[in-house]
Amino acid sequence: MRLKPWKYVVALWMTGVLIAGFLIPIPEIPILLESSRNLFLHVPMWFTMAVCFAAGFVYSIMYLNNPDPATDRKAESFTQIGLLFGICGLITGSLWARFTWGSWWTFAEPRMNLSALGMMIYVAYFVLRTAFDNPEKRAKIAAVFNVFAATTIPFLLYIIPRQLPSLHPGAEGNPAFSEITAPELRYIFYPAVVGFIALAFWLYDILYRYKEMKHQLEQQQA
Amino acid sequence: MNFLLIQAQEDSVAAVDTLTKSYSTDWKASEGFEQAGPLIQAAASYDLIFIVLGVSLIIWFVLLFFIIRVDKKVGRLENELKQSKKTVQHET
Repeated sequence: MRLKPWKYVVALWMTGVLIAGFLIPIPEIPILLESSRNLFLHVPMWFTMAVCFAAGFVYSIMYLNNPDPATDRKAESFTQIGLLFGICGLITGSLWARFTWGSWWTFAEPRMNLSALGMMIYVAYFVLRTAFDNPEKRAKIAAVFNVFAATTIPFLLYIIPRQLPSLHPGAEGNPAFSEITAPELRYIFYPAVVGFIALAFWLYDILYRYKEMKHQLEQQQA
Repeated sequence: MNFLLIQAQEDSVAAVDTLTKSYSTDWKASEGFEQAGPLIQAAASYDLIFIVLGVSLIIWFVLLFFIIRVDKKVGRLENELKQSKKTVQHET
C-alpha cells in the first residue's frame, strides 16, 4: 500500500527545511541571537492556522448554502487542524517570549492575549458541537458559529494588534517582516510556510478520511 | 557564549553552576573532544548545534513514521469498506 506521491514530497521537503533552518549561517541580532531561527517554526504555525481556518470558513459557508454532511465534516476537520497549529503557535511564542522579553506571558502584549482569545473562540466551536445529538442541527449551528469565529480572526490577529503599542513584531514602528529582515532568513522562511501548510493538509486528509469511514460504518450499522 | 537570561541561583542551598562547569567528573565527555574520533569532533563543533538538529530530526522522523503509518491504516480500512460495500450490493 503506497501513499499519494505528494505526501512523500511533503515529508522530504519538511526534512530539508528543518536541516537548512538549523544549519544556515544567520546574522547575529542582539537579544534574539540564535533564536532568530524560531522565525522558521513559530511564524508558519500562524500562517498554517490561518489557512486551515479559512478553509473551514469556506466549507462552513458551503454547508449553509447546500447542507451536505460531508461538507460539514470537511469544515470540522480543517478547523481541528487549524486549532492544533494555533495552540502550537501560542506555546512556541510563550517560550520564545520568556527568553527575549523576559516573561512567559504578559498581559501588556495585545497580540499574545488576542490570539489566546481567538483560540478560545475556536475551542467553543468544538464544545458547541458536542451539545447536539441531532447531526443536522449540529452541523448547521456549528457552521453559523464558524462563520462568526473565522471573521474574528483577522481582527484579533492582524487589525487590533497593529493599532496598539506592542513588543511583538508587526506593530507601530516595529515591522513584522520587511526590508530590515535579513534576506537569508527568507530563503528558509517561505519554504517553511509552504511545508507546514502542506503538512497541515496531509493531517487534514487523514482526519477527514477517518471521519468519512466512521460515518459510512455508522450508516451500515443503522 | 553568554547566558544572560539564565542565571544559576546562588542563594539556593543546592547551588551548582552547571552552566559553566561540568556537573560532575562523571561528565567526562564534556571535556576532551580533542581526543575523540573525527566523527564525534565534527558533531561537537559549532557549539553543539548539530546535536539539537539531531534531536529535532529524531522527533520529526518518529512523528513522520507515525503519520505515514496511520495514513496507510486509514487507506487499508477504506479499501476494506469499499470491498464490503460491493459484496453487500451484489447480495441485494
